[in-house]
Amino acid sequence: MKRSHIIALIVIAAAVAALVGTLTDNTTFVDLAQAFASPGKEFRVKGTLDKADPIIYEPIVNANLTEFTLVDDQGKRCRVKLAKAKPYDFERSESIVLTGRVVNDEFHASDMLMKCPSKYTEGNELKAEGEWTRVQ
Amino acid sequence: MTYLGEHTWASTLGHFLTSLSFAGALLATAAFALGTARPDAGWTRLGRLGFRAHATAVLGIVVLLFIMLFNHWFEFDYVWKHSNREMPMRYILSCFWEGQEGSFLLWTFWHMVIGLVLIRKAGEWEAPVLAVVSLVQVFLATMVLGVFVGDVRIGSSPFMLIRELPENLGLPWTGLEDYLTRIPQFADGRGLNPLLQNYWMVIHPPTLFLGFATTLVPFAYAIAGLWTKRMREWMAPALPWTFFGVMVLGTGILMGGAWAYEALSFGGFWAWDPVENASLVPWLTLVGAGHLMMVNKRKETSLFTTMLLTLTTFLLVLYSTFLTRSGVLGDTSVHSFTGEGMLPGLLLFMLVFVAMSTTAMLTRLSDRRYYALLCVALLVIGVGLQVQVAAILLFTLCSLVMLWVAYRTGPWHAAEEEKLASREFWLFIGSLVLLLSAAQITFSTSVPVFNLLLEPFTSRLGGLAEQWNSDWLRNVAGAKLAPPADAKAHYVKWQVPFAFIIAMLVAVGQYLRWKDSDMQKFRRDLLRAVVVAALLTALGVWLLQYKLVELDLIALFFATVFAAAANVDYLIKVLKGKWDHAGASVAHVGFALVLLGALISTSRQQEISRNLTQRVSGPVMDLRHLNEQFDNNTDVLLYKGDTVRLGEHYVTYVGRRADGVNLHYRTDYMKAEPRHYSSGDTVRIRSSLFRAKEAHTASVDFLLDQANYWEPLENYSRRDLWHSPHWSATRPGTKAFTLEPFVQLNPRFGNVPEPSTRHWLHRDLYTHVRYAKLDAADSTDHMPERTFEKQIGDTIVTPTSVVVLDSLMVVKDARTDSMLGSAFHVRMVRLRVRDLYDAERWFEARPVVIYRGTEPVAGKGFEIPELRAKYDLATADPETGKVGLHISDGEFLVLQAIVFPGINILWIGCVLLALGTFMAVRQRLTSKPSRG
Repeated sequence: MKRSHIIALIVIAAAVAALVGTLTDNTTFVDLAQAFASPGKEFRVKGTLDKADPIIYEPIVNANLTEFTLVDDQGKRCRVKLAKAKPYDFERSESIVLTGRVVNDEFHASDMLMKCPSKYTEGNELKAEGEWTRVQ
Repeated sequence: MTYLGEHTWASTLGHFLTSLSFAGALLATAAFALGTARPDAGWTRLGRLGFRAHATAVLGIVVLLFIMLFNHWFEFDYVWKHSNREMPMRYILSCFWEGQEGSFLLWTFWHMVIGLVLIRKAGEWEAPVLAVVSLVQVFLATMVLGVFVGDVRIGSSPFMLIRELPENLGLPWTGLEDYLTRIPQFADGRGLNPLLQNYWMVIHPPTLFLGFATTLVPFAYAIAGLWTKRMREWMAPALPWTFFGVMVLGTGILMGGAWAYEALSFGGFWAWDPVENASLVPWLTLVGAGHLMMVNKRKETSLFTTMLLTLTTFLLVLYSTFLTRSGVLGDTSVHSFTGEGMLPGLLLFMLVFVAMSTTAMLTRLSDRRYYALLCVALLVIGVGLQVQVAAILLFTLCSLVMLWVAYRTGPWHAAEEEKLASREFWLFIGSLVLLLSAAQITFSTSVPVFNLLLEPFTSRLGGLAEQWNSDWLRNVAGAKLAPPADAKAHYVKWQVPFAFIIAMLVAVGQYLRWKDSDMQKFRRDLLRAVVVAALLTALGVWLLQYKLVELDLIALFFATVFAAAANVDYLIKVLKGKWDHAGASVAHVGFALVLLGALISTSRQQEISRNLTQRVSGPVMDLRHLNEQFDNNTDVLLYKGDTVRLGEHYVTYVGRRADGVNLHYRTDYMKAEPRHYSSGDTVRIRSSLFRAKEAHTASVDFLLDQANYWEPLENYSRRDLWHSPHWSATRPGTKAFTLEPFVQLNPRFGNVPEPSTRHWLHRDLYTHVRYAKLDAADSTDHMPERTFEKQIGDTIVTPTSVVVLDSLMVVKDARTDSMLGSAFHVRMVRLRVRDLYDAERWFEARPVVIYRGTEPVAGKGFEIPELRAKYDLATADPETGKVGLHISDGEFLVLQAIVFPGINILWIGCVLLALGTFMAVRQRLTSKPSRG
């Protein structure tokens, strides 16, 4: 076997390992029903903040805990505990993506992406879209 | 109808110029291509004419867009969306490239400049190289064309009037001739996102895009070489451009990192965001390509890989563009563009160049014909039958097969294999590792693309998933793959081994000789660097407390220090300080330091705001009781006036001040100094009291001092306990510095926190405000109140206290009459307040409210400083016992503070990397005056 063949094999093996590794490290987008079907497993859930329900953030008790209600794209609702300080302008968000798992009938999120309408929407003549930000 | 105040001529001129730029590029492509096939001065002249027309048009577009932005012509969509009147003029540059169209223009502009340079300098390579450059310009010109072919809009023009936008056509206001003055929205633009209003946004995009643009040159030369069957000759003129690209693109990427670190609250300089990755990947392959070109100058070897890396680099730039601008990243990236119908155009752009590269690699004419036929067939099938995804997958497969054919049939193979101890062999290995590293990042970043490609097959896969009952397959079938939950951990896991190999190769590379090396000499030469690196690693491991389980990090630490040491040694011993040839060594030292700085600062970043000690009014709720995976208390809560230990300092939150749209939060830092206790001092340890037996300086732990210096107190009152301070090893000393992290208040774009960082030589302290009182007008020392509607006898529980509404009194006597007048009376509620965390600690509060008849007119709150709470009475009804009560906490802010050690190593590395590459490029240019 020539050395170039050995190198080719190693490269192919590393490439395949990287591909498989990437796919196994990935999470998946699910709706709340699916997340509740496998409690404890990490998922991403997309939805909106239910502005009618209270957003509870008591920094005096814990500066890194925010509670709110998520409505997923199927319309299912669920109480969320997010291990982050309440993001700026959270109430204005129009869409959120949570990374986390279901624990005791709640969704415990460790990470959140948030989309806020960043442009004027008043008046029908000038519309615009929002931008995503990662909640730190 | 003529509209009043509209600059219609600018719109007309703009559309004309975009068309001219397209037509000029098209003419240049055709003429240069024909000139390549049949060398003839006439074709070259025509090509130059076309390209110069294109260049003039691009320059005209740029100038016109600036004029529109400077003069605030808000009837233009681009101007309205990206600028406004309040914005400082110096940020007009940023407005120019904030949007999709403007950044395409920036890219086009750099290609145009490079094209003009190549016309002057490329000599015999001019025709084929300019043909490729012009073809790229044709595609880029379509991106800003903004014309309709039937119902399909091609590109998006920055010269569109708002009233001409498809969504506005036919709306009533477009019929008003004075709509610009009549409709208030046109008075001012939406403005540049304030987050982007800093100098980084002025310098980062042009640098990055110049870097991207430069990758086109080696690509064009490689295609030209394959086209004209000069397989190696193209590398000599392409090489300086390649390393110029390495320098500029590298600088651009690191500027992005510096921006994120200095001015954004991302909590670091690199977040493995898809957009960041998309700029890093072409740099990695470009570095690989450049090094292999140097090999090829000496020896005929690795030709196929050199071609592959050179072509791949530019294709990856196109792929990055596709990822970040087509909208496919959607909700996985923080800063991607929204797409707006750019997907088909960008896709075609990319696929055409993939097809072109594959065709060029095929050396047999018949293969080229088959492949071209296949591509056309797939295009027709894909578009005609609306099976785009299948067509793209088939196209990819065909291209890969053809690449294999090209590899088997082409003139790539050297007569003999490289020796194991030769420089070229290890440069080849290094390039392969760079390619693998790039591939891994690309895979992981492409998850949204996989979803798109999987979508047509979901039902088929779904059936398989049920058959095999595989959850993983079910997720794949659902086409709902998402990026890894912990992106940082994922990329670090894969990239640390790659970085290790690369750093080791950077260390030994220059000590290996071309063709074959004397291994004894090789070992002798490297001995000093190995010893130095080992010592420095030992020191680093000790100082930074790396543990054995972090062996990968220790290995990378060693490799980077070794790389730096070996290259410094090479500079001294081999080059003997001859700076002319030192470029490579300096750049290698820089690269090693970038890796080392990144390794130290990210692996040993310390969130010192992590605060698990008891707070003033009781224990902090532990998040881990809720969920083991929850990161506990990364932020610290600071009451105004309070002094809290933060790492090696004490910090006091002094107060807020407004400065324009920014609210600054002043935090003073004091050095932590050893605490001296005098004889007789009492301190509190949990709920016991101790008295100092003699004067002493506190050690690090109370337990160490207890036996010698402290005696427990047997009899003490709760009051003594409350009034005794907690024991602490240190006390705040003299003020060291002030940091003012701020929040940009912006009702339009949202409030944005911006960090404030203290820099030292060996580390940085980075802080930003996570949560605070955002009311600039309210100068009181309290947070926004909580409102309660309660009944006398009710109990309220707040995060700090238990409040019992004890009784309500109405006071109307001679005294209130004389002070307030007879129309007024006073109502008072007596509150019994208890510390939530201490059942024995009671207070009393008596807020009052003044009534005029049945109307409350004013009130006087009651403050309990011990609990940092203020009680205000809004209403009190003696008939029903109903009470409206406001309770507000003392003002505080929530702060995150991170220490990044060794981050200056990274910045120094950046400078050396850029400087070294510059030196190398300069040396190449000056030592060979006639290139090509």
